[in-house]
This record gives sequence, C-alpha cells and structure tokens, in this order.
Amino acid sequence: MWGVSLSSSTRVLETWNRKLHFYLGLYFVFFLWLFSLTGLMLNHGQWLVSLAANARVETRYDRAIALPVGSTDMDRVRDVMRQLGLVGEIEGVSRQPGSLQFSVNRPSGSSQVKVNLEELHASVQPFENSHLSRFRNLHTFSGSRYNQPASERDWGLTTVWVFAMDAVAAGVVVMILGSYLMWWRLKAKRRLGLVVLLAGVVACGWFVSGWF
Amino acid sequence: MLYRWTRDLHLYGGLFLSPFLLVFAVSVFFLNHGKVAPGQWMSVETVQNVQVPVDIDRVQGQEAIAAGQTIMRQVGVDGEIGFTRFVRQTRHFIFPVSKPGMEASIDVDVGARAAIVSRRQTGLWERVAYLHKMPGPHNVAIRGNWPPTNAWRVFADLTVYLALFITISGIYLWWAIRAERRAGVVLLSAGFLTIVGCVVVLFH
Repeated sequence: MWGVSLSSSTRVLETWNRKLHFYLGLYFVFFLWLFSLTGLMLNHGQWLVSLAANARVETRYDRAIALPVGSTDMDRVRDVMRQLGLVGEIEGVSRQPGSLQFSVNRPSGSSQVKVNLEELHASVQPFENSHLSRFRNLHTFSGSRYNQPASERDWGLTTVWVFAMDAVAAGVVVMILGSYLMWWRLKAKRRLGLVVLLAGVVACGWFVSGWF
Repeated sequence: MLYRWTRDLHLYGGLFLSPFLLVFAVSVFFLNHGKVAPGQWMSVETVQNVQVPVDIDRVQGQEAIAAGQTIMRQVGVDGEIGFTRFVRQTRHFIFPVSKPGMEASIDVDVGARAAIVSRRQTGLWERVAYLHKMPGPHNVAIRGNWPPTNAWRVFADLTVYLALFITISGIYLWWAIRAERRAGVVLLSAGFLTIVGCVVVLFH
C-alpha cells in the first residue's frame, strides 16, 4: 500500500515537473531571447548592430523653475523633475553652493540637469537613444549598482522590470533543477549525460573558482 | 528521427549549458539587489624599485595595457586591467585590475619608482556577477587583455547560442505533444504579451 502510494506521488511529481519545465520555458522564451540577443550586443561592441545602437540624438533647453522644495537633496531633485516633467532613475546627484546637478535615466534616454538655485533656472541636456540602444539597455536597466551602495531604485517601472528579470532568473533555475530530475530518470542517458554535465561543471567551475 | 535527434541534443546541450546558465541566472539576483562597499581594501602594500617603462606618460590603448602588465608582473598581480590613467600633475600611473575572486588597484609613483598595491578578495556572489558582466560593453579596444577574459568571452557566446538552440528545440519538442498544445499556446501568448507590454512601456 505504502509502495503504491509513494510510486503514485512520485509519478504525479514527475508529471508536474515535466509540465513545469515546458510551461516555464514557453512563458519565458521571449525574455530569454531578449536577454540572449542583448547579451551578444553588449559583449560585441564592434558589431555593426552594436555600433548602430550607439546613435543618439542630443538636444538642450533652458527653463525657469520655482525654488525646489524638500528637506533633502533627493526631495529637491524630485521637485525639479516634477516641474520639468522628467521621469526615470535618478543618478549622480551633486550639490554645489548655488547649484544642483543630477541625471535622469531611462532605457529610452537620459537627461542631465543643472539647476542654478540662485537664478532659478534649469539647463537640461536630454539624450534620446535609438531603438536598438533602448533594446540593449533593457539588459542592464536595474536602477541599482552593487558596487555603489548609495544607488537605489526610485522609478516604479524599474521595479516592475527588475521583478521581471528576477522572475526569469528564478524560472531558469527551477527549469534547470527540474531538468536534472527528468534526465536522471532516463537510465539509458545517464552515463553520457553525466559526462556532458561534468564537462560543463568543470569548464564553468574553472572560471568561477578563479584558479588561473 | 528528427524528433529523437532534437530531443537528445536538447538534453545533452542543456546539461552542458546548465552550469553556465545557473551562473548567469543566480548572478541576476546579486546584480539587482546586492550591495558591496567599494574601496574596502584588505591589504595595501608598497613595492619599491619598480622598473617603469620610460614612455609611460605618453602611452595609450594597448601600449598602456602593456606598460601596466610590465608593472603587474613585478608586483605579483594577475588579472584584467579595467583602464589606465596617467595623472600629469602628480606623475602617477593608476589602473584597476580584476578577476574572479580578486580586485586590485595599482598606483605607481613614476618619479619614486614605487607602486602601492591595494587588494581585495571577492566572494562567490561577486565572482558570478563579475563573470556575468564580462567582457561587457566598456573599453572595447582594450578588453580581453587577460587571456581568461577572452576564453570566458567564448563560453559566454556559446551560452547564448546554446540557449537559443535549447529554446527553439524546446518549442519543437513541446509542439510534438498534442495534448499540451493548447496550454502551451496560452502560456507562449501570455509571455509574448508580458514582454511586449514591458518593452512598450519602457521604450517611451
């Protein structure tokens, strides 16, 4: 009785593991293609498609603003952004006597803003990225840099995109772990599979270990 | 016949690829959410009597990399040079060096022929994040100045090409299972609409 029950639950687990493998794969396949193609573009800056992605349109304008309000520089930056109608990730905030500088970044472009707090006007230099550049930027657009502890996400859409990136990564991990289980159940494929897997582990482990 | 070959290649290609994909996938969490304090060196040592290339104040690009590597051999540091910088006012030649497990900064006082070598060990999270970002889009002209970086470039590309093959062959294998076609089409469509929604919103 116990053996039947165990066998039955194992079969259910295996069935759902198999379903999960291709359901996750089908749901995330377009994301995987996006990250694969943008990854190639990032690693091959000399390719024509990557060079074409570097094109961008630069403009410049000046605008009078009201005195930015807020108790911190970030609050004042947000107030200036509201007045100028800018949205995106805030980076590089620097405060000098009488001036405030920052940049606002999105996959579609960025704006460098210099605010003269005495004359109450802002000089804005927007950069509009090409569509290829926007596509490439999706690979790296997280609003956070691990080696810059002060960097934080401050745009809602970045948080949504980061959630999508995390979900793709988690989905890939689940699919891989599930695939090991499916492979191990195929007794005829175990030996060659083990050789191939070990080759991958050794090659990858060599780089991760740093033993060179 | 085609189905059987595709299934076997999907299986074995996927097994070889899996450690690399795990590195890229797991490092995403650290790249998106991790934080480390930069410049927290674990050791700082001064090396005297460094043989400094005579034209170090003029060299650029690959020549500057070669000058940096000449100094690295003398101070016992190995890895990829990020960039080089010569500060004319102080006559210092400065460059960062990194590899999985280690980050260093080398500051050469050209006049005194002394090099200050600052080192920091990096943990597993930073190692995988480093590999995820290598070789990357920056300083293309000098990237790959350390042989393992070029070797990793090959494996990073291979990961992409194999991932493309695995996903395309996976779609073929799924389509062969008639009972799963309807659910699969729903999920494929849902994934397509999700990414289109994200891209449309983020593109503007």
